[in-house]
Amino acid sequence: QAALAQAKPKLRCAAVFTDQDIRAEAFRAFGKEIGDMFDFEAFFGGTLFKQGTELVAMQRGNLEMANIAPQDISKQIPAWSILTAAYLFRDADHLQKTFNGPIGTEFKKMARDQLGVHILTPVYFGTRQVNLRGTKKVNTPADMAGVKLRMPPGEAWQLLGESMGANPTPVAFAELYTALQSGAVDGQDNPLPTSRTMKFHEVTKQFVLTNHLVGYDVFSVAAKTWDGMKPDQQAKFQAAAEKTIAGSTAKHLAQEKEMVDYFKSQGLEVYSPNVDAFRDSAQKKYLASALAKDWPAGMLDRINAVR
Amino acid sequence: MNLASPFALTVWALIALSLLGLPIGHAMIAASILYLLLAGQDMGLAAEQLLNGLYNSYVLLAVPLFLFAAELMSIGSMSDRLLRFCNALVGRFRGGLAHVNIVQSVIFAGISGSAIADVAGTGRVIIDMMTRNGRYTASFAAAVTAASAVIGPIIPPSIPMVLYALVADASIGYLFLGGVIPGLLMAAAQMAVIALQASKRNFPVEEKVPLREWPKLTVEAFPALMMPVILLGGIRIGVTTPTEAAAVAAAYAYLISLFLYRSITARQTYIAVLASARSTASIGMLIAGALAFNYVVTIENIPQAVKAVLSAYDLSQTTFLIAVNIILLVLGCLLEGSTILLVIVPIFVPTAQALGIDLVHFGVVVVFNIMIGLVTSPYGLLLFIVARISETPLASIVRDTLPFVWAMIVALIIITFVPDTVLWIPRMSGYQG
Amino acid sequence: MIPALVAAGRWLRRRAENIAAALLATMFIAFLVQIVFRYIFNWPSGWAFELSIVCWLWGVLFGAAFIVDEKDEIRFDVIYGAIPPTARRVIAVVTGIAMLAIYGMSLPAVADYVAFMKVERTAYLKIPFNWLYSIYVVFAVAVLVRYAVLVWRAISRGAAPSAGAGDARGR
Ligand code: NA
Ligand code: NA
Repeated sequence: QAALAQAKPKLRCAAVFTDQDIRAEAFRAFGKEIGDMFDFEAFFGGTLFKQGTELVAMQRGNLEMANIAPQDISKQIPAWSILTAAYLFRDADHLQKTFNGPIGTEFKKMARDQLGVHILTPVYFGTRQVNLRGTKKVNTPADMAGVKLRMPPGEAWQLLGESMGANPTPVAFAELYTALQSGAVDGQDNPLPTSRTMKFHEVTKQFVLTNHLVGYDVFSVAAKTWDGMKPDQQAKFQAAAEKTIAGSTAKHLAQEKEMVDYFKSQGLEVYSPNVDAFRDSAQKKYLASALAKDWPAGMLDRINAVR
Repeated sequence: MNLASPFALTVWALIALSLLGLPIGHAMIAASILYLLLAGQDMGLAAEQLLNGLYNSYVLLAVPLFLFAAELMSIGSMSDRLLRFCNALVGRFRGGLAHVNIVQSVIFAGISGSAIADVAGTGRVIIDMMTRNGRYTASFAAAVTAASAVIGPIIPPSIPMVLYALVADASIGYLFLGGVIPGLLMAAAQMAVIALQASKRNFPVEEKVPLREWPKLTVEAFPALMMPVILLGGIRIGVTTPTEAAAVAAAYAYLISLFLYRSITARQTYIAVLASARSTASIGMLIAGALAFNYVVTIENIPQAVKAVLSAYDLSQTTFLIAVNIILLVLGCLLEGSTILLVIVPIFVPTAQALGIDLVHFGVVVVFNIMIGLVTSPYGLLLFIVARISETPLASIVRDTLPFVWAMIVALIIITFVPDTVLWIPRMSGYQG
Repeated sequence: MIPALVAAGRWLRRRAENIAAALLATMFIAFLVQIVFRYIFNWPSGWAFELSIVCWLWGVLFGAAFIVDEKDEIRFDVIYGAIPPTARRVIAVVTGIAMLAIYGMSLPAVADYVAFMKVERTAYLKIPFNWLYSIYVVFAVAVLVRYAVLVWRAISRGAAPSAGAGDARGR
């Protein structure tokens, strides 16, 4: 019975990516690193809590850790929507530096104060690129006019599609392959490895390397759990998260490079458009949107200035 | 396993409540709440899982829409005309209408990606046809309908295969192609059962229809016969997604009944809408119950327990496939299909890969197996639905389904051990596996 | 007074049927709008997409609460259908009380969850989730009332719920 009394507290952790994902590997490694403090139990594939419902599960004390989409945080903290804007982060490095610096501290504090969630680190999973059925070359947003670009359901995603000059069309992820195959939509946008996993290259002709959105989630722990740790435990916990996720980020970057060659070998066109034209158009659309009203003053410039 | 653990007690409670005649959906919700209570967790979680599950399962919307299309087809005389046509076509063969039921499912399989949508869409009509004037017993009609609906998600498009591709990182396109021969094989196996039973049970032969009546019957049935073509065309040329095709089916049935046949009134329209709303709610409760119970299975780490058992044995390819088939067939009697696909199957995939089993082949075998689970008692979703549609006791349907289940298991054995049955078409289309 | 109550009950039931039918019809029309808008006009129609899902969720729970009869329910009737009426009566009391206890005990936690969901709104129509999900509370209360009635009937009148529609053919 003594063993029972000393049983380590359980950390239930939910994530949408599958068991085979690079991030799942990193999360398991994280679990090992903190194994002497906690009994870490991860549920992948959105099996425990559906995508987008993890944050509320944490707030209600039904989940200790989760990989949360910034879009879900912005549902409750509108200021966070700036962190979901197209052409905000240049790349994974810019993302990490922003979160590690004073700007990151401000946003983390909002999440902590308003949601009771302590954010450990951003989890990069690739930069979204446009993937089209048609063969017509795309150089500027004008070339995207009339293109039915599949977007995840939701207004923020719709804005993202519009800011690319396209016609955003909501289609469920599970139906996307057939929708592309039949032409119910003309294209989709996802990080290259995701497009590879879902075999979208089988039913499309080209990848336009728009680099429009640096995809990431935030690895988070319930504030209650975090506060229950001693400072040295917190430091160890934080270091374990940073170390394992950094490994995952490096693997993602390498994989994205590989994918360009892979898709070319499969006979698809892979090329860069006029990214500056896309960035100008997108930032204008975003600043004119209702979302931007909730952005902290001057934040866009401050994030742009992070080097 | 500890027989008094919260999970064990929950399973006992679920079995007891279901056997004692509570609606299955309610029993599953109650069992899930009981688990949360015993495990000391938030009892609001059952509602959380059920609500978020229903709210986030867009593809399930095909179910009420196909139910609605079916109501309209039967109220608006479309099914009568189709019956007369089918009768002329194959009625003179012994067991003709039962064969039609299978062929119709093969045609509809090319439209729908879900077996539930197949049963909801065509089941009502064909059961009516088969049981009219006592041609067949309601239980046999229901059994053929449930068994043949299983073909739906094996022949593309297929929602379960999309889910498998997601968890196994296999090609959706090649999975779809891989399902074609197994789907036809399943249809052949079921038609063999009918042919065998036809003389034994003295199935009816319809009166031969004179050839001069054929053109009229064909013209009358033409709009109904065009339905699969329109749906398939709509999906192929990209007007609709497979889920939206269900709405097109209903709209088409309504417009034909309203303007061409002039056989539907406003009052009848309301009756059709209400009847579909009622079936939607009773089938939806079943899905809701499965969503709530899924949480219990997941948080209890049942998948990990299975994994541990599997890795304790040093399996060969053959023994592994046999073991997986047996486990899935048993689980198919107890759990809902997408729970098995999303929670259980990911455990097997790495082992299959390590043993050198082709993942497209494995996926088709797994989906085929899980589809058989839709018609195996006690937890056969399709059985419950046809029981509801045909207003027949489950017990007699289960009895009449058994020969079909055995035939499908034979087909399963063939596609498991002759991988070419699955992989031939994908390889013809460039698959390198 | 009793006939008046019965008449009021019938009237309410018909209104419930109107609502359930309206939910299904709305879902159907929203689907068509979505297809037409996208294919013919090339307009984004996220709101229609969302409306159809909202109607599906409400259709299931509202329908299960108010328009699904005992005979419409999907149940495992192999054993229950075969036992004699007296035993069925006892079973109806036992299972009914189990349902009352379990659903009843969870009701505060459920209400708490639904109320908490005010922190989020749907993506397009901006419906607060506590409103949207309140249908579950309605459903749970309806289940409690229904099983209370079934238990009361089984005790007082000796009537056990039927084992599904198929069973009714035998009578
Ligand atoms: Na059929
Ligand atoms: Na199909």
